Amino acid sequence: MKYITFHNLAKLLDALKEDYRVFVPVKKSESGDYPIKKGAQRFYKEYDKFSDDIIIGEVRPFEPLKAFFVSAREKVADNFSPEVPHTKDKPFALVGVKNCDLKQGFKVQDHVFNNHDFQDPFYIKNREENLIIAADCTCAIDTCFCLATGNQPYPEENFDINLSSVGDGFIVEAAPTRRAQKFMDKYHSLFDIAKDYQLNERKEQRQKVIKKVEENIKENNIPSYDTLKEDIIKKNWDSDVWLDESKTCVECAACTIICPTCHCFLLYDQKDKEKMERLRIWDSCMIKDYARVAGGANPRPKLWMRLRNRFEKKFDFFPKVGGFYACTGCGRCISACPAMIDIREVLVRLVKGNGKNK
Amino acid sequence: MERINNPYRPIEAEVLKVITETPTIKTIHFKPKEPIRFATGQFVEITIPGVGEAPFTPSSPPSEKETMQVSVMKVGKVTDKIHELKKGDAIGVRGPFGNGYPVDEFKGKEILVVGGGCGFAPLRSLMYEFFDRSGQLKKLFFRGGCKTPKELVYHDETKEWAKRKDLNLKLTVDAADSSWKGNVGVVTTILDDVKMDYKKGIGVVCGPPIMMKFATKKLLHMGFKEDNIYLSMEKNMSCGIGKCGHCRLGTYYACKDGPVFKYSEIKKLPEIWD
Ligand SMILES: Cc1cc2nc3c(=O)[nH]c(=O)nc-3n(C[C@H](O)[C@H](O)[C@H](O)COP(=O)(O)OP(=O)(O)OC[C@H]3O[C@@H](n4cnc5c(N)ncnc54)[C@H](O)[C@@H]3O)c2cc1C
Ligand code: SF4
Ligand code: SF4
Ligand code: FES
Repeated sequence: MKYITFHNLAKLLDALKEDYRVFVPVKKSESGDYPIKKGAQRFYKEYDKFSDDIIIGEVRPFEPLKAFFVSAREKVADNFSPEVPHTKDKPFALVGVKNCDLKQGFKVQDHVFNNHDFQDPFYIKNREENLIIAADCTCAIDTCFCLATGNQPYPEENFDINLSSVGDGFIVEAAPTRRAQKFMDKYHSLFDIAKDYQLNERKEQRQKVIKKVEENIKENNIPSYDTLKEDIIKKNWDSDVWLDESKTCVECAACTIICPTCHCFLLYDQKDKEKMERLRIWDSCMIKDYARVAGGANPRPKLWMRLRNRFEKKFDFFPKVGGFYACTGCGRCISACPAMIDIREVLVRLVKGNGKNK
Repeated sequence: MERINNPYRPIEAEVLKVITETPTIKTIHFKPKEPIRFATGQFVEITIPGVGEAPFTPSSPPSEKETMQVSVMKVGKVTDKIHELKKGDAIGVRGPFGNGYPVDEFKGKEILVVGGGCGFAPLRSLMYEFFDRSGQLKKLFFRGGCKTPKELVYHDETKEWAKRKDLNLKLTVDAADSSWKGNVGVVTTILDDVKMDYKKGIGVVCGPPIMMKFATKKLLHMGFKEDNIYLSMEKNMSCGIGKCGHCRLGTYYACKDGPVFKYSEIKKLPEIWD
């Protein structure tokens, strides 16, 4: 295991700019003043030079990682041309990525876009070429419940390099891949050997964050991984819980847009001069027209049906077709929802529910 | 990176001919610039450049290799533009997608095909496939219904079909006019004279959801097995390849795992007739 100082990390990021568009999480106060207000979110910013607002540790940025792999709006076909757009785009280097996005997030996105029936050339390019410099969570915020959906609060897989904050720098862990080894060799002069006390510090730090997430789970009575398995959607299919929880929903789709597992999109054609241009844009099953068919028939005309559908997709469909939940426990939807619909509370009610009305 | 096909790119096709079937349905004959092989019951996405895409099941048989046909009902944004197409226009085609009918499994069986409204389109392809395999089936029945005689598609063709020895065909309309000499009533009213061993028979149903619901009920009542009833499910679709999420039906994607399903596969799923 290696070690890198803050100073050398800045050098590393500077060097990466040559081959990658580098994105780092930053935290901003609304006024621009420091110290930053409690509750401020972290966002990705394109890296230019090292600055004080860069946050490698802490928790996940507000934007889901998926945005760098299937972007919110991208051209996927240019008239009838067999050329695949974007193949020559400079890849991203994504810094400070947290495990909820890495493990469960990729599990779902890979299942959708990299399956054997039809592979998505855009996603696969990004998956092959983007560099991921992950990081341990150095704290957990109140909405974090990753352990409940099977993720540790430190990177377990799907990264090239992982950084664990210790003292004035980071422990550097390289994935056992050729690419990661090449990376370590290329920048070897920036690394030192990690010392035992630093490795111990990482261990303690990880335990501290695990404890905080466990407290979160306990405090909110979040059902354990196993109880979620008990067909919670089927047994609550006709329950009042859906109508009740959806009462305040304003159909903004924030919960699905911000979710690292949601993958729905719409192919949208527009005229580009005299040619056509096909865009892929994120879509959301919470929107009324999502499943409407020509002629106006709609299998889910009511908001509560669409809320139920969202949970069905996460906690019934994906477990059945892939063997995993499509929820990472990142809690983004809790912070994003203007109607204060809280996935944790819905899950508690579903596990408690017995199919009857309250 | 190893080169992967772009599944979102349409192949250019030239419109060869446009046939007006009914006031609301036109059949478009077109020739894709790269050959597209499909199995009957699979669908393609047709692009009107700059306007959008919509899924259609080819109404031509797979044995017609150079060209394809789709029969399209005018109902909205893309289909309005399809109805404006004329010879020589360029359109786009993606596909084929989905599973199609397991025609090989139908060998030696007695088959009842029930169609309604625009559900005729995929069934026309299937019927020609059956005619191409004439002699392979034990018995073949076709029962079709639509609202009025004016809305009856493939008018001349069905007249020809009626003369075939290997087919027992009957059509009905919900409301007749002076030109109509056949049956009046919904399609489920012309199924009783289908003489076959229902318990072993194959039922193929395609049409508007409400028609499929009642036809399925009727077939079950007659004695058809849930495993032997094939339905073609129309859901909102965008990608056609199991990625965009739109067409999900329980644990299936209608575009990838369907659009043809056995009734037994989907009967327990919610929302199937909506
Ligand atoms: C498997 C399958 C087979 C079918 N076979 C046939 C057939 O053989 N014959 C037939 O007549 N019908 C068939 N249909 C139905 C046919 O697909 C619909 O009638 C058609 O989609 C209507 O499109 P529209 O744009 O005219 O209608 P609209 O009601 O205007 O739109 C329908 C859908 O298209 C989407 N859309 C709108 N604008 C755009 C855009 N710019 N880019 C992308 N999407 C957009 C909308 O979100 C909406 O969901 C089939 C459907 C399926 C699923
Ligand atoms: S459903 Fe909410 S908590 Fe779960 S992964 Fe999506 S945004 Fe995160
Ligand atoms: S949910 Fe877990 S992995 Fe994600 S940011 Fe919070 S503590 Fe870290
Ligand atoms: S049409 Fe996109 S998943 Fe079926």
